[in-house]
Amino acid sequence: MIIPIRCFSCGKASAYTSALTLRLSNYCAQVIADLYEKYVELIGTPIDEDGNTMPDGEAMDQLGLNRYCCRRMMLTHVDLIEKLLRYNPAERDIVKTSGGNR
Amino acid sequence: MPAHEQSNPWAPLTPSQLEQRKIVSVNPETVSHTAATDIPGHWGPAQDDSWNLSRFRDSLKVDFHHNKPHDAAFSLVGVDASIANAFRRILLAEIPTLAIEDVFVFDNTSIIQDEVLAHRLGLIPLTGGQEGLKWLKWFRKPPPKDDFAAQAAWEAEEGEDSAASVPSDYNTIVLTLNVTCRWATKAEDGRDGKALAKDGESDPNVRYVNSNVYAKDLVFEPQGQQEKYFNEEEGNQIRPVNPDILIAKLRPGQRIHVRCHCIKGIGADHAKFSPVATASYRLLPQINITQPILGADAKKFARCFPKGVIGLEPSPDNDSDELQAVVKDPMKDTVSRECLRHAEFKDKVKLGRVRDHFIFSVESTGQFGSSELMLDSVRLLRAKAERFNRHLTELEEGR
Repeated sequence: MIIPIRCFSCGKASAYTSALTLRLSNYCAQVIADLYEKYVELIGTPIDEDGNTMPDGEAMDQLGLNRYCCRRMMLTHVDLIEKLLRYNPAERDIVKTSGGNR
Repeated sequence: MPAHEQSNPWAPLTPSQLEQRKIVSVNPETVSHTAATDIPGHWGPAQDDSWNLSRFRDSLKVDFHHNKPHDAAFSLVGVDASIANAFRRILLAEIPTLAIEDVFVFDNTSIIQDEVLAHRLGLIPLTGGQEGLKWLKWFRKPPPKDDFAAQAAWEAEEGEDSAASVPSDYNTIVLTLNVTCRWATKAEDGRDGKALAKDGESDPNVRYVNSNVYAKDLVFEPQGQQEKYFNEEEGNQIRPVNPDILIAKLRPGQRIHVRCHCIKGIGADHAKFSPVATASYRLLPQINITQPILGADAKKFARCFPKGVIGLEPSPDNDSDELQAVVKDPMKDTVSRECLRHAEFKDKVKLGRVRDHFIFSVESTGQFGSSELMLDSVRLLRAKAERFNRHLTELEEGR
């Protein structure tokens, strides 16, 4: 549903230090959960004029995901929480109360 | 009589034989000579294989390839596989680290269930002042209240009020997490989330405030003496190693308010306490080219290995300008045995692995440095050996 904190197999928890190290593709990674957003950003941002985006293999290399166990965590993740967040009873209450005031 | 001596089955091993017994042979389909034979008496009385401190000291070698705080690789040469494996297993399962163990949920209206949230929190690697982490004592967790058998055993063993099972400043760290998500408002955030949403803005980070809960939102609350050991001004406070770990996602009106108790534990109890992501070793590959491989064959031979393993050099005892394949860096080889699949190389090369050369790779989760963890594992093995020795002495004395 939401990206797991660590790699299931090796326990890598994807640590990254700074934008500089990112550019040097020198992540010292051990956790997964903090890399997912960066991964989505990397593969979703156009890198040239034709609108091509970075291949996911290259993005994972940049994030320091070297082993195939960690790579599958990124590749096979389906971020279902984004869909479930659309059903928010708390927000419905907010709308209801604010609607009553109007 | 030299001829007689050579046929003597109890003669000590020759240097080449000594070299040979260090190699595990890698054949096209099988692996042979896997068992170590440096056991006293294995090669007869003349071969001295008894353990000897000075010989061990001479043959032991530790050579670092790279040593970064989160990732270290080094060669450990001259120990038996059982010792190297003991280090690896101690690294994985027996070095104590700090992790969130108990989570007290005051409010959780997010769509991540309480137990899933607690599990996620537990897996976050924490770090802090090294001295303080070493100073922390064990917390002995009492059995669950509804498990009467375990409760009875616990009371018989511990007594009802053991100090180690009462949370206090020397065995428990408290972290709190209190995050509420709301719409962005003009007054507080300089943008009106609701108006932007109406205009078609879909990015939750713009529409809402606190829509993502990160590990950096965990607040350390020092108790008692912890103020001294985990001083925030000195950068020693307990904090997640990776501040950007995504714990949960929220929508307006949802709130997470929890208090976490972190205790010291070992990887054997739960993987979250393991100080390493991976700790593994492999044996040094050995490639022995028995007959020269020249020209086009040499190029093909080099392609059978990963880049950099095989180099091409002008051959010394050949007048033609054909290049000869030489072994450059066997450390890079993956021992894929590809070269043994080709008939032309089959009889010209022998693959193997050096039995006592362990290439360790230790990847710390961040609480301690990788190389320091290795030293800790050595200390722990030593302490265990001493304890075992003490028990043996007690057994002998009949205590």
